[in-house]
Amino acid sequence: MKHQITVTVNGTQYTSEVEPRLLLVHYLRDVLNLTGTHVGCDTSQCGACTVLINGEAVKSCTVLAVQADGAEITTIEGLAKDGQLHPLQEGFWEMHGLQCGFCTPGMIMTAYDLLQKNPNPSEEEIRHGLEGNLCRCTGYQNIVRAVQYASDKMRGQPVAAGND
Amino acid sequence: MKISGSYTMQAARQAVWDKLIDPDAIAGCLPGVEELTKVGDNEFTMAMTVGIGPVRGTYAGKVTLANLNPPESYEMQVEGSGRPGFVKGSGQIHLAQGVGGGTAITYEGDVEVGGPVGSVAQRMLGGVARRMIEQFFGCIEKQITGG
Amino acid sequence: MAVTKLFGASIKRREDPRMITGRANYTDDVRLPGTLSLAILRSPYAHARIKRINVEKARQLPGVVAVYTGKDLADTLAPVPCAWLPPNSDLKVPEYRALAIDTVRYVGDGVAAVVAEDRYRAADALAAIEVDYEILPAVVDQEKAVAEGAPQLYADVPNNTAFVWRLSGGDVEAALAQADVVVSQRLVNHRLIPTAMETRAALAYYNPGSGELTLWCTSQNPHIHRLLLSAVTGLPETRIRVISTDVGGGFGSKLPFYAGEMIASAIAKDLGRPIKWVEDRRENFVATTHGRDHIDYVDVAAKRDGTITGIRVRSYANMGAYLSTAAPGVPTWLFGLMLSGPYTIPNVAVEVYGVLTNTTPTDAYRGAGRPEATYILERMMDLVADRLGMDPVEIRRKNFIPKDKFPYTVATTLQYDSGDYELTLNRALEIVGYDAFRKEQAEARKQGRLLGIGLSSYVEVCGLAPSQAAGAMGFQGGLWESATVRVHPSGKVSVFTGANPHGQGEETTFAQLVADELGVPIDDVEVVHGDTGRIPFGMGTYGSRSTAVGGSALVYAARKVRDKGAKIAAHLLEVSPDDIVFDQGRYYVKGAPDRVKTFQEVAGAAYLAWSMPEGVTPGLEETHFFDPINNTYPFGTHVCVVEVDPHTGQVTFRRYVAVDDVGHVINPMIVDGQVHGGIAQGLAQAVYEAAVYDENGQLLTGSLMDYAIPTASMVPTYEVDRTETPTPVNPMGLKGAGETGTIASTPAVVNAIIDALKPYGITHLDMPLTPQRIWQAIQQAQKGS
Ligand code: FES
Ligand code: FES
Repeated sequence: MKHQITVTVNGTQYTSEVEPRLLLVHYLRDVLNLTGTHVGCDTSQCGACTVLINGEAVKSCTVLAVQADGAEITTIEGLAKDGQLHPLQEGFWEMHGLQCGFCTPGMIMTAYDLLQKNPNPSEEEIRHGLEGNLCRCTGYQNIVRAVQYASDKMRGQPVAAGND
Repeated sequence: MKISGSYTMQAARQAVWDKLIDPDAIAGCLPGVEELTKVGDNEFTMAMTVGIGPVRGTYAGKVTLANLNPPESYEMQVEGSGRPGFVKGSGQIHLAQGVGGGTAITYEGDVEVGGPVGSVAQRMLGGVARRMIEQFFGCIEKQITGG
Repeated sequence: MAVTKLFGASIKRREDPRMITGRANYTDDVRLPGTLSLAILRSPYAHARIKRINVEKARQLPGVVAVYTGKDLADTLAPVPCAWLPPNSDLKVPEYRALAIDTVRYVGDGVAAVVAEDRYRAADALAAIEVDYEILPAVVDQEKAVAEGAPQLYADVPNNTAFVWRLSGGDVEAALAQADVVVSQRLVNHRLIPTAMETRAALAYYNPGSGELTLWCTSQNPHIHRLLLSAVTGLPETRIRVISTDVGGGFGSKLPFYAGEMIASAIAKDLGRPIKWVEDRRENFVATTHGRDHIDYVDVAAKRDGTITGIRVRSYANMGAYLSTAAPGVPTWLFGLMLSGPYTIPNVAVEVYGVLTNTTPTDAYRGAGRPEATYILERMMDLVADRLGMDPVEIRRKNFIPKDKFPYTVATTLQYDSGDYELTLNRALEIVGYDAFRKEQAEARKQGRLLGIGLSSYVEVCGLAPSQAAGAMGFQGGLWESATVRVHPSGKVSVFTGANPHGQGEETTFAQLVADELGVPIDDVEVVHGDTGRIPFGMGTYGSRSTAVGGSALVYAARKVRDKGAKIAAHLLEVSPDDIVFDQGRYYVKGAPDRVKTFQEVAGAAYLAWSMPEGVTPGLEETHFFDPINNTYPFGTHVCVVEVDPHTGQVTFRRYVAVDDVGHVINPMIVDGQVHGGIAQGLAQAVYEAAVYDENGQLLTGSLMDYAIPTASMVPTYEVDRTETPTPVNPMGLKGAGETGTIASTPAVVNAIIDALKPYGITHLDMPLTPQRIWQAIQQAQKGS
């Protein structure tokens, strides 16, 4: 039996009929074709699927599409505004915060939530805040620097120089 | 994975023995057993729902009792498979006359899970098995003592 | 060498914009209308005979389109070939089927395949397949597998021994007999699971009209996969196109050729619909290759002054249940040849048993063979130093190949290209403040605090080449690379490379190279990779060879373009080509810089071809196949500083210093990133990660809950530095940087922890050095004393 849901994703409202067991991440990827949100595990460990639901970072593989009925969702595709990269996206680019890029959308969404709650985190707080997201490529150092870059920029501070 | 342990019941050895090989008592006391049917001498089929770690599912399987040496010892084999994978276990159960008329039960055995459940739930297996055994003996004890 | 502005510059990566905005195109992101979902039923038993498979119930479920068993596919798909066949090793390659036909040999072996309308229905159908297994005894440990009476995986592979490979140089037995000291140690280099964040995936589409099969898949080497796919399906290569443009990490695990990709292809052809298979994570843990898993018996001969005179190694390498694509090469050539490392050890002998067990097949994992060799050497160096009461720094210094001895031929006959090993050691010691640390350590010990420092000096072989050597080693392919540089009439450039970066950033660094060579803006250069439909041929990305070999091919191709351009420019300027100077994208007449044609003008002229010089064909496009004369040998020293809590065994990282020498560097930012990631993986082996099987062959660490890949707070800050010793074997003087971190870090971390435990008299512990293992060792030691 299918259920009707209405969600707003990246500012656009969608109404769909979904099976009750459909995960939100599969709804985003397979129904809405928003493939920037990735799936990296089946035990809610990796964070590759992280999106914002009503402004909070949530692993979208842990939520059923029907539970998101009425919610406001932001995915990585919705982060840049008017062709302007979000400071986090900029930070990841400037600081070489990604290699294969698979973990990146989830990392950025989690970092978004982190900076929202703590605009000026210490290195330790950043590392702690990203614990639910796994990256196999970068060894995390440049991800930390990317978040620091965004934090500086969002607070109107001069940003650290990029890599040279 | 190897498990072993002991349980002391305030009940006479023969009474404990009778309950431990009684299908109704097993069905009533083994957590998650939905049905248990006797299909042969000391052989039963069963359906059982168990949660191991994050994986909960129903297993269809077989319980066999062997090498019965009343009221001292027997062997038990449990085998089940279902959507989440398979569970297999075998063990030896010893009943010893305890102090003050009680019975000291010791068990040791091997449990294996495999398939999908195996890949995510191995770590929890020991704990789950031990808890189920505790519950099982606790329930049997209650049935005997009527407590 | 053209060292202009771009070579050596930390240019931001051009692959990033699509990835940070969610617009990359990984295999599972590719959409084709009418796609069906494929799921594979995998054996829950490590060793069993399939008595009966009943797929009827599954077939009747709503949304299920087809179900296949091993028998159904036996005629469509030939067995998976092994592509590395070490000669003179009594090699036996067991039959490796996409789906098992009557016997399963590891937990995860494919049994049946289901195709359904979506992934949920495919999963339902898997659960409805009934399989009757007759369980057979299993063997997991490689030492047990070769022992008498062990369960046998194959009737035709006695003692489960797939091969025995030996190599020696000098006379080790004599060295051991004459040594002042012989230090012997059994070292376990345990099994790891590569765990790229993107699991494997495949999308296959067969067009019955054209007879063409297109396979999108997660491949490090699409051309090799096309070749193997052609071999198993019988379709000619001309009718197969393999595309793997965005790949979410590989680390070796996406090199082998696997069942999922083959089955998707076969079924796509059978059903005429696009078929998508996406491995889930728990499936990835059992069905994608694992790495390492060596047990090594090591004897080192030394003189009293610390000179190492010989090393003898007997290795049991666990191959898993089948021989995966490149698996036999990992514990043999990539390992055995490197057993003298950066040291002048004149006598080396190695004997390797490639053992089949009821476990997931192993294959290359970042470093593949070289981390195993380096771990042995760097652990043994510390053990010998400890025995002789020497400082670990001094013993290394004493045995280093001196910098004026290059090119240097080691006992195993490799010729190292260039090196200055002491330089990296000195730099690392200086950064970490070695002498001051030793003082601090001594003070701390008085207070019962456990500080430790660990060194790891390594040399590795990468930029794997030349093809002739590949042939001698039994590698069923060449080790060259190809590149095509196509200049369009506007002067914009497309570069086609046979390397297939999946995180290493060559879309950027290769553009840097070509922009430099042709003097065009970097934005005018696009780098195309990962598509057999667009690229002539290629060996793929692995073994830190993309830049050293693929990048060189590119430089040569660009130079051919430049030279042809010079002829055209000379013709247009009416001078002899010898009188043309090329500089920064301009061809001008020697002595008359105002008589000039820009590169773009020349490109235009080449395509108009209204007036071409004698014997010069129209167009401006060149291909080059580069087969280097030798490998490259990056080296370096890593130093790790730890503190161990004596009450809990908990390890805290205080410093991690890496000084690598990878020759010249195109993009320092990218090389640093490679080093960071490599360190994290190697360090994780030392203290966190381990694949564990129970004796029945069940993988106990089959999920990300149990297999501990590090999170951000589990790794230290890396202090990365470099020295630059160029190699003569390629035009850029660069060596390769993809694996140095993984190779060096594992022993650096282990040595640091063992150094910290020195007050307890502990000289060795097997990895991973978890708090529990350390705590137990401390308890044991305290009881003993
Ligand atoms: S997919 Fe891994 S946490 Fe959601
Ligand atoms: S960049 Fe590859 S997993 Fe993070």
